[in-house]
Amino acid sequence: MNKRLLTIDDEESIQIVIKFGINMVAGWEVLSASGGRMGIDTAQRELPDAILLDVMMPEMDGIATFKELQANPMTAGIPVIFLTAKAQTAERKQFNDLGVSGVITKPFNSLDLPDRISKILNW
Amino acid sequence: MKILLIEDDDALIALLTRSLSSQHHIVDAVKDGEMGWTYASTFDYDAIVLDIMLPKLDGISLCEKLRETGCTTPILLLTSQDNTTAKVQGLDAGADDYMVKPFDLAELTARVRALLRRGGTNPLPLLSWGDLMLNPSSCEVSYNGQQLTLTTKEYDLLEIFLRDSYRVFSNDEIIDRLWSSDDFPAEATVRSHLRRLRHKLQAAGAPHDFIGTIHGRGYYLTSPQNSAQFSSRHLVGPIHELPLLNGDRINFQSIQTNQQQAEYLAFLQETWVTIKPQCLESLSEIAAIVDRLLLSNCTYLEQQQIHQKTHKLVGTLGVFALTAAMEIAREMEIILNRSTLLSPAEAFPLQTYLSQLVRAIATTLPSQKPDVSSADLPLLLLIDLDPNLIRSLTEIAENHRYSTISLSSIEAADRYLFSRADIHLPTLILVNLRDSSPTLGFIQNVHLRLPDRVILVLSDRDQLTDRLAVVRHGGKFICTTNLTPAQIFTAATSQLPSINTTAKVMVVDDDLDWLRTVPKLLQPWGLKITTLADPQQFWNVLQSVRPDVLVLDVKMPEINGLELCQVLRSDPQWQRLPILFLSASQSSIDQQEAFKVGADDYLFKPMMGGELAQRIRHRLARLQSS
Repeated sequence: MNKRLLTIDDEESIQIVIKFGINMVAGWEVLSASGGRMGIDTAQRELPDAILLDVMMPEMDGIATFKELQANPMTAGIPVIFLTAKAQTAERKQFNDLGVSGVITKPFNSLDLPDRISKILNW
Repeated sequence: MKILLIEDDDALIALLTRSLSSQHHIVDAVKDGEMGWTYASTFDYDAIVLDIMLPKLDGISLCEKLRETGCTTPILLLTSQDNTTAKVQGLDAGADDYMVKPFDLAELTARVRALLRRGGTNPLPLLSWGDLMLNPSSCEVSYNGQQLTLTTKEYDLLEIFLRDSYRVFSNDEIIDRLWSSDDFPAEATVRSHLRRLRHKLQAAGAPHDFIGTIHGRGYYLTSPQNSAQFSSRHLVGPIHELPLLNGDRINFQSIQTNQQQAEYLAFLQETWVTIKPQCLESLSEIAAIVDRLLLSNCTYLEQQQIHQKTHKLVGTLGVFALTAAMEIAREMEIILNRSTLLSPAEAFPLQTYLSQLVRAIATTLPSQKPDVSSADLPLLLLIDLDPNLIRSLTEIAENHRYSTISLSSIEAADRYLFSRADIHLPTLILVNLRDSSPTLGFIQNVHLRLPDRVILVLSDRDQLTDRLAVVRHGGKFICTTNLTPAQIFTAATSQLPSINTTAKVMVVDDDLDWLRTVPKLLQPWGLKITTLADPQQFWNVLQSVRPDVLVLDVKMPEINGLELCQVLRSDPQWQRLPILFLSASQSSIDQQEAFKVGADDYLFKPMMGGELAQRIRHRLARLQSS
């Protein structure tokens, strides 16, 4: 039941909050990466149970990161949930078409994250 | 304790800092009188050690200035002049004590201790509480005669509690008092120090709630006599680790305790302190580009950059539960989300939003239960009105729980209403009949495209031709001659369909937090809300409430929303009842299912009150017109 998650978000503050909330409620281990490139490296090295991926990041955005994770057989099987501050239907459809496991929109309460993640991934 | 040292001699600063720190004091040192003023008026100190001869502003004047503004912090003056006139002058300026250089360090630290006693509620040289004793001069702590070995921070924590033993200290206050003004603890450090301190106290025989917690407020020393029975009713001890959980599927929401919510909020507030400067910096970068947008001196790339920055800000503010600030940032993001460079006129509202946002960020702290934000209130759109009237109407509207947006022209209003998809749509539109033909065109356009909005035309010309033209284009006419702004407001709002004020909405959801929030979100819109958490009670409540609209959660234990919907659709009396689904799940299968069983609308959480109210009203309007 103890899960390992990787969050990829360039906002350190959001990472801190996510980690705190998830630790507190579920006790899961949360790894962090501050950008797409670093996230892909960490994912390959640590093979987390799931990845929370911010959509809008400088340099390498969430969609590019996701595609690269999918292209690598090592990481292709790791479920990815997008984090985004936008919740328009069009965008959500685009994410669905890409094959992400789910979308969690900001703002969220980090205490709810374990529950939402479990629901999305059927854990 | 926290001490401000204002002294221009580096060697003396080093010496004093060292010896005060060895006494467990936190020292902020500044080197001139003006900096001294800035620090003393910005942060809270337990004592100030102040040199008289200082650059920029001398010690006597600074002392006077501080006392004039009501600062009561004990002040110890340092000077090289050993004469009565200087001493009298210093004490008259409001200093509490006076030392002549060169002085003995041991004497200075003792005098500082004496001053600190004066500041707190405990005037004795030994601090005690029940069986606990703390000796500030030797820095020794014992409980019931048993020595405690404490770290510096644990000692400091205990000392501030003992100095002000009847006070509740918030996390922020503790941070202010125990850390120097330059560094903020990076994580939930206060709590972990506190936890360790509680452990040590307990190990020495103190009750587990020697330091009590009041959620949302802070920590305090519980009364030594009745701490135990007190704790069972009002207080919660240190947070317990969650037991290790097994099982296939756990609903984390249900095991989230209030304590966790409070801890989480405290954590957000602490972390926010460190994030806030970055947010403000990011805002000033945005402001610089907005200034240039207004001067048509900015590239599209720069506009895109601030769009991204604003987008990030929306996410951050939201995650830190600064809802009002987030709403403002979102409005800005909507304006910036364009594939072409904004004209100065289009960029103009950004300036107002920026100043609102700076204010919101500066004045609010993360809070779990945000006040109803502007996006949750009915909106009044004011177009091309007289600035005085705008001011008065805005104020009146605010008092009546309406939000307002004022736009300078028909063109701007046109862009606002029709060029973006996800704006906060106004409930009422007030426009000045300045130039008939564009205004009439606009009215007609609004009437056709947003048929359920009320558009009112204000004019001081009371002519039948004008009245007729406005009505023919789908608007309503108000002649403003002899009307006060309050009368205009009343005349305008009385035009709103009464459907708003009478509609009964029943919300069925197993998410109790949401059920608590929903009445607050929807009441400003004149909707009457009944909430129900237990679907088993559904039929009884439905029959007695007889709602006009139903809002259902998709997934609920025992009976789900889809099943309830099917039940209603098969009943002749209820089959036309508008049913909206509101779901946290992003699954499109659920959505399809819902429509299949007869849902009228399907919405995702989180949802703003305004938007939800809008959707509810759409449903009601459709039902009435059919």
